[in-house]
Amino acid sequence: MVFGLEGWIVFWVLFVVFVFLGFYGSRWRKGDLSQLHEWALAGRKLGVFLVWFLVGADLYTAYTFVAIPSLEYASGSLAFFAVPYVSITFAVAMLFMPILWEKSRQKGYITAADFVQDVFNSKILAVLIALTGIIAELPYIALQIDGMRAVLSVMLFGYSGVKAVSEWALIISFIILAAFVYTSGLRGATLGAVFKDVLIWISVIALIVVVPLKYGGFTTAFADAAKAHSFVSGLEALKPTFASAYVSLFIGSALALYLYPHAVNGSLSAESKSKLRMSTALLPIYGIGLAILAIMGILVYSDPAALNITKVLSGLASIPAIAVTAFPQWFAAIILLGIFVGGLVPAAIMAIAQANLLTRNIIKPLKRDLSPKAETEISKWASVAFKFIALAFVFLTPLTYAVQLQLLGGIIILTTLPAVFIGLLTNKLEKYSLIVGWFVSLVASIYLVLLANHFKTLSTSSYVLFGHPIFIGIIGLGINLAIVAIGTIIKFAIKK
Amino acid sequence: MVSFMEEANKKLSSGRIIAIAILILIPFFVYFLYPTYNKVNPTIDGLTFFYWYQTLWLGISGIMYAIAAYLWDKR
Repeated sequence: MVFGLEGWIVFWVLFVVFVFLGFYGSRWRKGDLSQLHEWALAGRKLGVFLVWFLVGADLYTAYTFVAIPSLEYASGSLAFFAVPYVSITFAVAMLFMPILWEKSRQKGYITAADFVQDVFNSKILAVLIALTGIIAELPYIALQIDGMRAVLSVMLFGYSGVKAVSEWALIISFIILAAFVYTSGLRGATLGAVFKDVLIWISVIALIVVVPLKYGGFTTAFADAAKAHSFVSGLEALKPTFASAYVSLFIGSALALYLYPHAVNGSLSAESKSKLRMSTALLPIYGIGLAILAIMGILVYSDPAALNITKVLSGLASIPAIAVTAFPQWFAAIILLGIFVGGLVPAAIMAIAQANLLTRNIIKPLKRDLSPKAETEISKWASVAFKFIALAFVFLTPLTYAVQLQLLGGIIILTTLPAVFIGLLTNKLEKYSLIVGWFVSLVASIYLVLLANHFKTLSTSSYVLFGHPIFIGIIGLGINLAIVAIGTIIKFAIKK
Repeated sequence: MVSFMEEANKKLSSGRIIAIAILILIPFFVYFLYPTYNKVNPTIDGLTFFYWYQTLWLGISGIMYAIAAYLWDKR
C-alpha cells in the first residue's frame, strides 16, 4: 500500500469541492440554460482569463499527465514532440479561431459544421464534418479515462480487487460528472477547469522543485534511465531516424487541435475576438508545465519506489507514482486529484462538443421543427450518452499506448482541415472535391494505421514513406489537399 | 497573411502586418530546424540542450504571440 487513509480523506474532500463547483456553475453568471448557446458556450461571455483556463483545460489533460510522460518513459525523446506542438498549435489558433469567432457571432454558429454548411452550402458536407468530429473525440475521451484509471490504480496499489474497485469508481465519477454537466453545461466545466488548474499548477511546481533535488538531479536521472534500458528514439536527444516522425507529429498535432469540436467550442465561448486572440497567444506559456511533466518520464528512473510501481502497472502510472512516493500523503492527494479531475473536465467539455454536433448538424436537419428548448434537451442527454459510450469503449478495449489514442483522433479530425481552415479563408473551394478528399483521405489514413500496426493493437501512428517514418495524419492531409486542389482547379478551368 | 488581416475588417499598416507575421513565424522556424537543437550540450544542471531549449522557446513564443496579438487588435 502506497496510499493510506490520510491521502484518501484529502482526495475525497477535494473531490466534493470539485463536484460542488460543478453544480454551482448553473447559478454562476446566470443565463437561460434551456438555450443551447447558454448551456454549451456559457453564454459566450468568457474573458481572457477564463478562456485561458477553459482552453488550457483542454490542453492539460490526461494527454499531458499520463500519455506524454509514459511515451517519454518508454520510448524517450520522441515524446518531446508535444512541446513544439503546443507552441505551434496556438499560432495556428490565433490566426484561424478569431475569424471563426467573428463569423459565428454574426451568423449564430455553434459548431464548425454550422459554418461549413453555410459557406459551402452543402448539408452533406456539414453532416460529414459533424460525424468526423464526434468520432474523433471518442479516442480522445478514452485517453482521459485511461488517465483517471492510472490514478486509481496507483491509489489502490497494494490493495486487493483493484480492477473491480477502479471500474466502479470510474462509473460513479462519470455519473456525478454527467449530472453536473447536464445541469450546468459549460459553466460547470469552466469552474471545474479553474479549480483543477489551480491544483495542477501547485503540482507541477512542486514536482519540478522537489523531484530533481530529492533524487540527485537530471544527471543522475539520465544515467539511471540509460542503465534501465535503451530508448528507441533516443534519451538525451533525438536519434536522427526519428527526425521525420518528430517534425510531422508536431506539425500534424498542431494543425489538428483546433479542428476538434471541443477546441472550437472553447474558442467560441470567448467574450470578444481580441480577448480570444490574446488568451490563445498566451497559452504556450501554459505548455511549460507539459514539458516539465514529460521530463518526469525520465526522472522516475531515479525514484526506486516509483519505478517499482510503474514496472508493475505501466508507464502510464509514472506521475501518479512519483506523487505518492516523493510527497507526503496529503500533498500526493492534491496531485492525484488534479490528474483525476484533469481527465474528467476535458471529458466533459468534449462530450458537450459532441452533443452540439449531434443535435445541430445531424438531428436538426432531419427534424426541422425542433424547438430551441428541445434542441438543448437533446444535447444535454446526448452529452450524457457520449460519456458512457467512451467509458464502455475503455472497459472493452485493452490498455494501449495512450498517446496513440490522441494521435488516432488527430488523424481522423485532420480530414476536416480543408473544409474548415481553408474554408475560413476562401469560399472558392469546389465542394464535391471536399467531400471526395475527406472520404479518400479518411479511408487511406485508416488503412495506413492498420497497415503500420500490422492489423494488431494500436502501437504506432507513423507510416514509413521513402524510408522515413511520417505521422499518418500528415500523409492523409497531403492526399486530401491534392484532391481539393485538383477539383478546385478543374472548377475554375471549366468556368473559363 | 494578408487575407487573415482583411478578416479583421480594418486597415493595419503594412509595417504592422510584417511585424505580426515575423513574430508568429519565428517560433515555427525555430522548432522546424530540429538539427539546431537536437544535441546534448550545453546542459543545464544535467538537463540536455534538446529538452531545455525547446521548453525555453515555449515561454519565448508565448511572449512573441502576445505581442503579435497586441499589435493586431490595438486601436
